[in-house]
Amino acid sequence: MATRPSSRQGASRRSIVAVIAGAAVVAVALVAGALLLRNDGGSSASPTPNVDFSGIPQEGAVLGDAGATVRLIEYADLQCPACREYTEKVEPSLVADYVRPGRVVAEFRGMTFIGPDSVTALRFVHAAGLQNRLWQLQEALYRNQGAENSGWVTDELVRELAADIPGLDVDKLFADKDSAAVTDLLAEDARNAQADQIQATPTLLIQIGDAEPYQIHIGFDPGALSEALDDALQG
Amino acid sequence: MSDRALRIGALLVTLAGIGIAGYLTWAHFADQSVVCVQGGGCEKVQESSYAEIAGIPVATLGLASYATILVLLLWDAPVARLSAATLALIGLFFSAYLVVVQLFVIDAVCVWCMANDLVVAPALAVLTVLRLLRS
Repeated sequence: MATRPSSRQGASRRSIVAVIAGAAVVAVALVAGALLLRNDGGSSASPTPNVDFSGIPQEGAVLGDAGATVRLIEYADLQCPACREYTEKVEPSLVADYVRPGRVVAEFRGMTFIGPDSVTALRFVHAAGLQNRLWQLQEALYRNQGAENSGWVTDELVRELAADIPGLDVDKLFADKDSAAVTDLLAEDARNAQADQIQATPTLLIQIGDAEPYQIHIGFDPGALSEALDDALQG
Repeated sequence: MSDRALRIGALLVTLAGIGIAGYLTWAHFADQSVVCVQGGGCEKVQESSYAEIAGIPVATLGLASYATILVLLLWDAPVARLSAATLALIGLFFSAYLVVVQLFVIDAVCVWCMANDLVVAPALAVLTVLRLLRS
């Protein structure tokens, strides 16, 4: 009789050890799966642009007819996977249906909160903006987005992407990247983000005329953006 | 501590986990910013590539796990206790991975995630394993 409790305790201990070991094995498998299946953006990279910017006027960070009454302001971090998704899923119809016909003007404002690669990417993008090619380069960078702060924004990558953008002087792009003008543009973006109390990316604001911009939430739904823009266009 | 107290504690901790994971899941799908302490990195963590597994938000996986544990705690059969403890331990180990990712990979801390990873998940693992030891 005296052996029964001890035997039960032994069995209990064995079952606890088995539970812990089983849980550890499952957790290791989960972590391995998480690392393999994480949304690092590499799989959806495409060699060809998703958005057609040809023939649309650009001035710095502004795309489209600057005289349009409705302005869509996009705050984005070039390393942010959600910003990439927005660019892939929403930007094509935004540009084709609203910007190209001159109904809406779009403005890009960069944020760098993810880290050093965000700063490097934004410097290149604003340098492209000095040649009025900002939108093409931001789209190309999203298409080739790597893991956060892995050093993916290399000179080689940017040179390769920039070479495919018609009208972009690649040597000037690299010369301008660390210029005072680009530094000022980054600082201006940061000031605007603070003034607009931007907490996340992508964040979209609509401005009608000189009125105070207001934030919209569309997820990655082009239909929801169309609805918001149509409302704004109707005043 | 009685088994009843352990069970009530586990239920309360599970509800806290559902609250945190539910809030982060809602913020993800509603495209809303999460409330974060000054200088916190909630958005950086939430928008990192580690925040999703095969397109499913990690917070949603956590919510599903807590909901399952809640059901198991309410059921409370021997097999439910064993399953709850196993699931809580898996959550604990996975939370440890998430803490490492936040501190050393993303280099940002989400207070909601840390509250879950350092308080809720360990507490639930301890409570459910203690119940298992006593059964």
